[in-house]
Formats: sequence, C-alpha cells, structure tokens
Amino acid sequence: MIEELAFSALRISVPLVLAALGGLLTFQAGILNIALDGFMIVAAFAAVAFAYATGSLTIGILAAVICSMLLAALLVVFNLRFKAHIFIAGIAVTFIAYGLTALLLEGIFGQDGMFTSSEIPTFPSIDIPVVKDIPFIGPVISGHTLLVYVTYLAIPVVYWVLYKTRWGLRVRVVGEAEAAAAAAGVNVDRIKIETMLASGFFCGLAGAYLSLGYVSLFAKQMTNDRGLIAIAAIIFAKGNPYATALVALLFGLASALSIRLPEVTGIAPQILQLIPYVVTILALVVVGIRNARARNKHGSWNFDIA
Amino acid sequence: MENLRVLIKSLALPLIAPVVAIAIAAVVGAILIVLLGRSPLEVYQTLLEGGLSGWPNLSVTLQMTTPLLFTGLSVAIAFRAGLWNIGAEGQMLIGALFAGVAGYALAGLPTIVHLPLCIALGFLGGLLWASIPALLRVYLGVNELVVCLMLNPIALLLTGYISTKALKAPGPTNKLPDVAQTAYLPSFSIYSQLNAGIILGIAICIFFLAFNATTVRGFIWKLIGLNPRFAHYGGIDVKTNALWIMLVSGGVAGLAGVEQVLGQYHAFYDNFSPGFGFDGIAVAMLANSNPLGVIAASFLFGTLNGGSAVLQMTTGLSKYFVQVLQFIVVLVLAARFVWHRKPGAIKRKAPATAQPQPVSQEV
Repeated sequence: MIEELAFSALRISVPLVLAALGGLLTFQAGILNIALDGFMIVAAFAAVAFAYATGSLTIGILAAVICSMLLAALLVVFNLRFKAHIFIAGIAVTFIAYGLTALLLEGIFGQDGMFTSSEIPTFPSIDIPVVKDIPFIGPVISGHTLLVYVTYLAIPVVYWVLYKTRWGLRVRVVGEAEAAAAAAGVNVDRIKIETMLASGFFCGLAGAYLSLGYVSLFAKQMTNDRGLIAIAAIIFAKGNPYATALVALLFGLASALSIRLPEVTGIAPQILQLIPYVVTILALVVVGIRNARARNKHGSWNFDIA
Repeated sequence: MENLRVLIKSLALPLIAPVVAIAIAAVVGAILIVLLGRSPLEVYQTLLEGGLSGWPNLSVTLQMTTPLLFTGLSVAIAFRAGLWNIGAEGQMLIGALFAGVAGYALAGLPTIVHLPLCIALGFLGGLLWASIPALLRVYLGVNELVVCLMLNPIALLLTGYISTKALKAPGPTNKLPDVAQTAYLPSFSIYSQLNAGIILGIAICIFFLAFNATTVRGFIWKLIGLNPRFAHYGGIDVKTNALWIMLVSGGVAGLAGVEQVLGQYHAFYDNFSPGFGFDGIAVAMLANSNPLGVIAASFLFGTLNGGSAVLQMTTGLSKYFVQVLQFIVVLVLAARFVWHRKPGAIKRKAPATAQPQPVSQEV
C-alpha cells in the first residue's frame, strides 16, 4: 500500500516538479511567471496531436516543447518589449492557451472536452537493472517511464546551473538587484528571456508528460491548476531547486491522497486540495509580518511591490 | 469650432485603443478560423446575428452580459486606483455562497426584506473575501496579486466542499437547497434567464460613473491610481483608501454571484462559473476602467458569448473562440500603456533599460 502510494506520488508529481523547475528559473530572475498552466496546456495538446498524427513519441515531445517555448517567447516579448504587466499578460496568455487548445480540439478532432485514441503511442516503463531488486526502494523507484527519471535528474542539474555556473550567478543577480546587475554589465533582458524560454522548455516536458506519460489523452483544462500549485511551491520554497521540488512533491502527494483517501475515510477531497494554496498564503503572511516588523514605523504605503 | 474639435477629440481619443485592440483580435481570430478551414466572414456574421437578431437571441445576450457588468466593474474600480483585483472570481463565488445560503436559510421572510437582505449578504461575502488580500497588502505589504491568485482556487474548493458535503441539498446534484421564491430576482424573459440583475448591474455602473465624476472620494481614488506618491504627499491617506477600494471592488464582484444564484439558477450550484471573474479583467481593460465603458464592453462580450451558442450549432466552433478573442484583447491592451506614456521606451536598446530604479521605498 505504502509502496504503491509512494510510486504513484512520484508519478503524479512529475508535471508539478517540472513546472516548478521552469517557474523557479524565472522566479530567480525576478519574474513570477503565472502562465505555467498556459504553457503546459499548449504542450499537452501539441504532444497528443503530433504523437497521434505521426505515431512518434519523440516528435510529440519535441512539438510540445517547441509550442510551449513559443508561448513563452510571446509572453516575454509582451512583458519586456511592450512593457505589459507580467501578471496581466500571464493571465491573458493562459486563457488564450486554454481557449485555443479547446478550440483546436473542436476544430481539428471534432471533440468537445476530450480526445483519446488507441493510436496515441505510450511510453514503455523502464526497469532499472540492480535497483529493481532492492526491497521497498525497488518497486518505488524502478519501473517508471523515461520522463519521470528525466524529471528527478533535472533537479540537481537546475541546482548546479543556478548555483555553480556564471549564467546562474547572473540570473540570481538579476533577480536580486536588477540595477546592480545592469551596472555590472549583465544583459538583464537577455537573462530574463533565457530564463523564460527555459521555463517554456520545462513546462513543455510537463505538458507532454501530462497528456502522453500520465494518461494517453487530451482534455480541456487538463492541467487542473497544476501551474498554480507549482507557483505555490516556488513561493513557499523561495525558489531553491531542491526545496521547491520537495514541496512540489509533497503537494503532489496531497493531491494523490485527495483522490484515494475519500474512498477510505470519507474525508472531503477538497480539504486536501486546499493545502498548497493555504500554505502559500500563510507563508506570505509570515514573510509579510517579518518585513513589517523590520519596516519604518511611519511606513504608510509600500509603493513598489514586486 | 475650436470647442467642437476639442469635444470630438476628447470623445474619440479614449476609443482608439479599444477599437485597435478589438481589430487586432478580430484579425488574429480570422486567421485562426481560416486555419481551421472555416470562413471568417461566416463565423463573425453568425456570432453577431446569433447574439443580436430577434428578442430570444438578444435576451440570451443580455443574460450573458449581466455577470460581466458586475465583475467588469469590480476589476475596473480597483484598476482605476492602480490596484489589480484578479480575485474577482473567488469573491464572486463567496458572494454567491452567501446569497445562496441566505436564500434558503432565511425563507419565510417577506420579499421586501428577504431579497435586499440576500443581495446585501452577497455583497458582504465578496467584500469579506476581498478583505484578505486587501488587509495583507495594506498592513503587511504582501503582493495582492499572488494572494488573489491563490484565493480563487481556495474559494472554489471551499464552496465545493460546502455544496457537495456540508450543506448539500438532498438529491444527486451538487448544490445547496433551492432559494426561496421570496429571494428571486424577477425574471423578464421566457427565452433566457434574463432577470432584474441586469437593472441592478446597470444602475451600479451609473452610480460609479457619477461617483467617479462628481465626488471627492472618486477623484482621490483616481489620483491614487495615477500616482500614489503624489497622493500621499498631497495628504491623502493612501492606506485606508486602498483598503476601501479593494473592499468595494470585492463587494461588487460578490454581486455577480448574487445575480447568478438569485436570478439565474435559484440555488448555489457547485462550480457554476465558467470564469466570469477573469472575463471581468477583459471587460475592465477594454473599458479602460470607465463604468460606461464597462457597460459597453460587457455587452460586446455578452453578444459574442450569446452568439457562440448559435455558432456551435452551425460550425462546431464554440465559446472557446470567443474566449481566445477576449484574451487577445487583454494581451494587446496590457501592452498599450507604454505606447501612451513613453513611446521612446520601446526603441531603447536592451542594456539601457537598466536605469537605477528606486528600491522598494516606504515613506
């Protein structure tokens, strides 16, 4: 039972962890990208559409990543070049993505709500040679599909890039003190564009996993606010890759439990689904109180809030 | 003659940006339709005819317009004061919940007491839900956008819990018990669920039009939106005003829920909203926060949504097309402000954007 739960928690958290990895890169560069859901839904649709049309998983994933990155490019162009507010542009991009995918679902596949077909290829599960025989750990870690392994291996890679490379340092400086970074000769806009595109890349993988790896179908709004939960994880863990991934995993576990627990205990699923959002607001309140204490007693209005 | 020119200019200028945004959306939409192998002319014609021709269609359009009047005005009130209320969806749900519960729990009261009481409680519900981001923003400096964003799903899950578990009406449907007849908003049309809510919506838009134009408070709220620092140094209590702006904005969003529950469904249904709160952002931006503009923009989107039902029957495309159009408008208008204020900023080379910015200042 516990092995099974741990196994499915690892699986169910994959899109969350991937989206969170993407989101934390822009977060570290000072942009809170709330369009993760939009990137993912476009990727999920492209993955299913291209995998169905060509019968190739590789092309499906590639198409997902490319479409997601194109949407990221659109958002960053509006944000940086046209100075659109990142939240408003992000909401617009997300709803365009929701609407567009549902529209294409109707227009191309003639389906309202959902598309599935036995011709959509599926990922084979991979058993890790030695590990699979270890008791408990084996059945939990081994037997996943490729994208699951890629996801968890990406966490240390993102950490290494952010904290051990020159580029990562620049990203963090841009996030910490944009003016200082620019004064030091860092191309601020370029860093922001690069992190946003990376965000699109990870969300592309997340979307592809959602529609090809986790299930073999596309349903409108199938991201189910996972992007928002990923943002919650990022804010809660302040953008540290390991901590963010862990929090995303825990939030994923909560949603895995919210499907299973009600059957056993009769508790309402909504209660567990509330956890990520409530926890994030509480975290913001704690940070707010800390900042308010440190602030000037005569403070009247915080004009510039990130 | 000179006066006339000034008058025309002042009337026409605010219309340029929305018209351009709509035109861009229409062109992008047309390209999409062509890619899907349909005729753009036919689609747009169906949308407009389906939304406007004949009283049955028009009454559906007006029914679709009604919730947008409230959510649009709600976002516009905050937006005009430089605050972003993207939590209208959640505030609407909580307002609907309050109205829904009061609608059946207080049954037995005469209409003249029951209906106004339910409306007021719905307003209060939205106001209370908005008080969370408002208080956090004003007293702790927490970004209201993030909090609003998180509170939307919380409201959905909370009302979901209440309407599927805690107070669920007996029967298979996930809803609260039916609202008593004494709390119904009177219905106008046999063709749709158009009801007195639309009168309330238009009335409240006109109220805010007068409020913005004639009262000192309305001017202060505009000033805060234009330049909070200036307002502060001018002796305006920005904190308290900002708090009230968010509260009023939330209350008005709550009224959207009131109209849905008391006017259209006559009970609180789980997950009833197709996203009116977010549509409100599109309405407010197209209206440039002007209450009259809110009425016009709501009617435009209401027409498209009303027409999309007919479009579904004839071409198989549906409300999602309208959704795409709506948010292309938002995206284009979000970019607009720079074109207005500093046209030079766009041409500047990238590194030059790095002008020292005032670090998060408190006064």
